[in-house]
Amino acid sequence: MLREPPDGANLLATAREVVLRELLPVLPESAQFAARMVANAMAIAAREAVQDASWEADALSRVAALVGAAENPLRAFAAAIRAGRLDDDAAAFAVLREITRKRCEVSAPRVLKEAGRE
Amino acid sequence: MDEARRAALARWLREAARAEDLVITGAAPLSGGAIQQNWGLDVTLHGRAERWVLRTDSAAVLSVSRSRAQEYALLRAALAAGVTVPEPLFCCDDLAVLGAPFFVMRRAGGIAAGHRVVRSETLGGGREALARALGREAARIHAIRPPCPALGFLGDPEADAGCAAIATYRAMLDRQDTPRPVIEWGLRHLERSAPPPVPPVLVHNDFRTGNIMVDEAGVTAVLDWEFAAWGDPATDLGWLCAKCWRFGSPHEAGGIGPRAAFYAGYAEAAGSAPDHARVLWWELMAHIRWAVIAADQAARHLSGAEPSLELALTGHIVPELEWEILRMVDRHAA
Repeated sequence: MLREPPDGANLLATAREVVLRELLPVLPESAQFAARMVANAMAIAAREAVQDASWEADALSRVAALVGAAENPLRAFAAAIRAGRLDDDAAAFAVLREITRKRCEVSAPRVLKEAGRE
Repeated sequence: MDEARRAALARWLREAARAEDLVITGAAPLSGGAIQQNWGLDVTLHGRAERWVLRTDSAAVLSVSRSRAQEYALLRAALAAGVTVPEPLFCCDDLAVLGAPFFVMRRAGGIAAGHRVVRSETLGGGREALARALGREAARIHAIRPPCPALGFLGDPEADAGCAAIATYRAMLDRQDTPRPVIEWGLRHLERSAPPPVPPVLVHNDFRTGNIMVDEAGVTAVLDWEFAAWGDPATDLGWLCAKCWRFGSPHEAGGIGPRAAFYAGYAEAAGSAPDHARVLWWELMAHIRWAVIAADQAARHLSGAEPSLELALTGHIVPELEWEILRMVDRHAA
């Protein structure tokens, strides 16, 4: 609230438009791939900046409920899955789906849109 | 390539090609993979012009990757088996010439770039014909079987390629810092549903859109043999059909054409149709493999070993691969 706007997400989105609309058309072909990567990185960072990060704590507490007390619940979760202790466990599958959905919101929102259409 | 290197290369090529009149008229870097460097060489010899490709290692070499000499041997074996590959010409292990081993092959025409190939309705004679042709190429690769003395460096085949793959990716995950429960979920599902092993064949291990050059008439070259190994033939079919290698296209065979046409082309050359359930098993493995490798690539950026925007962005592919892994497990289990 006390920081000066526009915030990071706004700056990234605005700067990304400059990369795509002003720089890309005048860049030589050899630099286009790099410019597209820059625009892609800015989009990911902007989505991360606006995502409500509280889902991580919620997801980790759901994971902890499945695997019990552990120093690193996510590691214990991964180990339990590998050991077959969560085979066909609907609650485990549900939390995996939720974590992946939130991760895709930042890294690959396109796949969530596709899934919504199916 | 500086003047001294180019002169040393010309001297070496004159000897290798037994052509005293050989002259390098052009040498320009081609867009290569993350591991290898490719140079387009224009040469004249015996009074005529030829177009070649020189393939050598770049600074960061993955330990899983085959050496240039081994890749050269694989190309020779593939050519002999009727696979469409650029004819391998010369191989050089002498570090004094270019500072790294290299080999030279003929330069195939056409394009490989995945996003362009999947958009075309006409390349390779159209989607149906090209998918069929890809099936035939895969079957010819799989006709190469052990024992094969020229490919001795591949070692003995695993008794069960599927179980070996599960162990390999678990070991890779164990070397990474981040726990990956979704990938573990996929691996555990594969472990519980593993098909029985089949006799080993040569598997290309990166047989996908983007590594296959095509022109209007058909396939002009199957490229990038550095991951080839003995294994289950369905590995290559699952990798080619995996959603992550369709470049956003709806067509199931590499974003290029129908899966049925790909299978039909395979059956035509192999004599029997692929086992669809086995291909689907390896298709799930394909997403797991790409996710584990993508995480490894991002780790090279994160550790500071090789700061790179491309590697950094590769890490952000992992979530969508995980999404597909969960979807596939859910469907298999249903």
